[in-house]
Amino acid sequence: MTRRVQITKGILWFITGLAAAVTIVRFTRGLGATTVLSDTTPWGLWVGFDVMGGVALAAGGFVIGAIAHVFRRERYHHAVRPAILTALLGYAAVAVGLLYDLGLPWNIWHPIVFWNPRSPLFEVAWCVMLYLTVLFLEFLPVFLERTRFKGLYRTLLKAQLPLIILGISISTLHQSSLGTLLLIMPFRLHPLWYTPHLPELFFVSAICLGLVMVIFESSVTAWLYERRPHTAMLSGLARFAAGAIAFYLAFRFFDLWHRGNLHLAFENTFEARLFWVEIAMSALIPLVLFLVPRVRRSHTGVFVAAALGVMGFLLNRIDASGLAQVWATGTDYFPAWTEFAVSFGIVSFFALIYLFIQEHFPVEKEIVDEEEKWRQRQLFVLPRFDRLSQVWLGDRTFASRRVYSLLFVVALVLGLTLTPWQPLVEASPVQRARGGEVLRVGFPLGTVQFPHAEHVERIGKDRCGVCHHLHRPGDVGTPCTECHADLYLPTRIFDHVAHVRVLDGNRSCARCHPAEGPREAATAAKCSACHEKDMMAANEVVTRFERTDAPGYRESAHALCIACHRKEAENPDVGKPDLFRCATCHRGVEPHGEAVLEASLATAECTPHR
Amino acid sequence: MITDPCILNDVTRCIGCEECVAACKKINGLPAEDPPPRVGHSKDGLSATRWTSIFRRPGGVNVRKQCRHCLEPACVSVCPVGALQKTPEGPVIYDKSVCMGCRYCMMACPYGIPHYEWSSVNPSIRKCILCHEKLKSGEIDRPACVTACPKEATLFGSREAMLAEARRRIEAQPGKYLPHIWGEHEFGGTSVLYISNVDLSFLAWEDPEAFENEPLPERTWNALRKVPYEFLGMGAFMTAAWWIIDRRMRLEREGTVPPPSSEEKGGTDE
Repeated sequence: MTRRVQITKGILWFITGLAAAVTIVRFTRGLGATTVLSDTTPWGLWVGFDVMGGVALAAGGFVIGAIAHVFRRERYHHAVRPAILTALLGYAAVAVGLLYDLGLPWNIWHPIVFWNPRSPLFEVAWCVMLYLTVLFLEFLPVFLERTRFKGLYRTLLKAQLPLIILGISISTLHQSSLGTLLLIMPFRLHPLWYTPHLPELFFVSAICLGLVMVIFESSVTAWLYERRPHTAMLSGLARFAAGAIAFYLAFRFFDLWHRGNLHLAFENTFEARLFWVEIAMSALIPLVLFLVPRVRRSHTGVFVAAALGVMGFLLNRIDASGLAQVWATGTDYFPAWTEFAVSFGIVSFFALIYLFIQEHFPVEKEIVDEEEKWRQRQLFVLPRFDRLSQVWLGDRTFASRRVYSLLFVVALVLGLTLTPWQPLVEASPVQRARGGEVLRVGFPLGTVQFPHAEHVERIGKDRCGVCHHLHRPGDVGTPCTECHADLYLPTRIFDHVAHVRVLDGNRSCARCHPAEGPREAATAAKCSACHEKDMMAANEVVTRFERTDAPGYRESAHALCIACHRKEAENPDVGKPDLFRCATCHRGVEPHGEAVLEASLATAECTPHR
Repeated sequence: MITDPCILNDVTRCIGCEECVAACKKINGLPAEDPPPRVGHSKDGLSATRWTSIFRRPGGVNVRKQCRHCLEPACVSVCPVGALQKTPEGPVIYDKSVCMGCRYCMMACPYGIPHYEWSSVNPSIRKCILCHEKLKSGEIDRPACVTACPKEATLFGSREAMLAEARRRIEAQPGKYLPHIWGEHEFGGTSVLYISNVDLSFLAWEDPEAFENEPLPERTWNALRKVPYEFLGMGAFMTAAWWIIDRRMRLEREGTVPPPSSEEKGGTDE
């Protein structure tokens, strides 16, 4: 194990720890607390990156299978096992990602029993399940190679070719069906991406992404384990990738031109810029780099081109399933950090499994041998005495395991601290009611017109406290919006810091908190203990001031107004049986204002609906 | 229950009193107070606890929004497990016990109707079901929203009768209405129709007139029905390719066929 592997694993464990924290919140608090998805953006990063991107990233498995086994290019046999392992883990990651994204993850098996063959997602679900099985059977020989199950091992080796061909067929279906998925939403997807040929485009781009991913991945493993990469194999794959990317580029632009949408790419819009960034990263730059023989022979060159390609094609999937739809929905969606944490966390977790399998099973024999040599060497390394901490440090394997655990736990705690446990809601500050005789209150402005003078007359001049139940210290008739500051969200109205300052610092705790026991809000003295005279109003609504937070404006206004209105509606002396109906106050904007009330009063049936 | 139930909304008659909203909430057991809206909530007022809403437009125009109960619903066609179903009678209904929460229906609906219980750990898709259960059992003869309307701005009947009524109203007062029935043909036709004095294309994500007589499910089905042929075709092609290449290589080894030139082999870089 080299220093590079240790550092990389440390980082991967850290990200996994963050994801673990978000996992806890996701499955106890729901999607609302862990994503910024909404009714206008029901699909986000988890679909675009984890599902759409993940499936396409794992396309290397079937592409390399076809090249090496069907077209018999023996040179690429080295790449088959790592590519199949990537595909297997990639699809497993997709399944895990789906568990996060599905609202009811315990029903993930439902497509097996409940069928709707007209749904592209049904087709994708079945293909992913079948292909996971096929990939497992394709990869099983690697686990079995050094075990006693020789019979099964030989049978599976014999079945290798049919399995690979089956895998290719299944992949063709679901790679293209992910494109079919978007065909139903011509109204959401921008015309630079939407085309009836989305299935074909998705299939071709999956082949491109599969190829660049295999190049990227073998460059990275070679760098990690400080081995010489298979130069001949990489440059050969680069040639294939160049061909596939050129075909993709030609297909995409011909399709755009054919549908007469090419001009959209040259307009000064967000989508046009996005399109060019995507095309440059996924196709143009990698293609040019791959076509230069000198770049193709250089490890760095191939790595850079492949890395760009991987990011570019992933961006394509994210665009198609999200960014290129902003145009239609007009909603800004940028994933919350929790969404990134889960997406990258799943990748990190499966990358760790990938490295583990590489180090312990004959995926690439050189890596296992090197690991074995390293372990042998460790046996002869004496424990080292660290002068600073005064302890004997064991061998590096155990030392690094301790570091990984530490990183994981630190990240977990950090994640749990940072995650918002409450669902994200839109803050809607309330404007102070305006006007003299008739106050205009609520949102949108003018929805409710409140005849203040009329109410004063009805209730009595000396009984302001019926509605104004609480004042700021020393004030009278404090407006509702001072405490109920948001239309929906509760407002905290107790300022602890200010109280501590005014009451002479820490010595004053006992004035509100009991001497024994925990000092918390529940056990503290009620505000009315001190503020009986200067804040509380004598009224029937709020008799004792016990809460340190004020409910949202709408909730409190409804509670206050409707209770009174209902009581008055039943009062025969008032003679207004419809007083509690919504339309009494919510009269709407001009010009229908009066008509609404009339209509409401006209319907004589008095069934209260609140 | 009548077959092919349909609602006709006359936008010119709606005064925006929201009696329909209250009635809908009551009959479906929804809380009177909606929870705080999420960032990015739909601006038309619909939410998981508000299945119909009055969309207030400039100039005092009130447009009632609700599920359109399309004749060929996109949401039903894309649901991978069939949790959304188009009943034989017409309304599009939802079965929570089957749903897995993929939210594909929300993506596929051209009107943005299905809404989600984002803050729940056990969330459902929520939308208008045209009071299907209660209509079917005969408990009510009209959807609650129609009964509640004090101005007859929303009418209930068979689709044919509603189309006839819409045409009659437009012909009787050609100056009052635009000569178009929204929902007659768009996306293959819907069971909630509108006549109006203003353009209502804002009800869909994109101008629905671009999709006259074009049901959305056809678009995916055109690609999906080729799936079996693609599967077999790709399998056959790969097997054939392998067989030809394998035979050629075998013959090469036996010396029957001369080895191919390096060009054919795909070339090498080294």
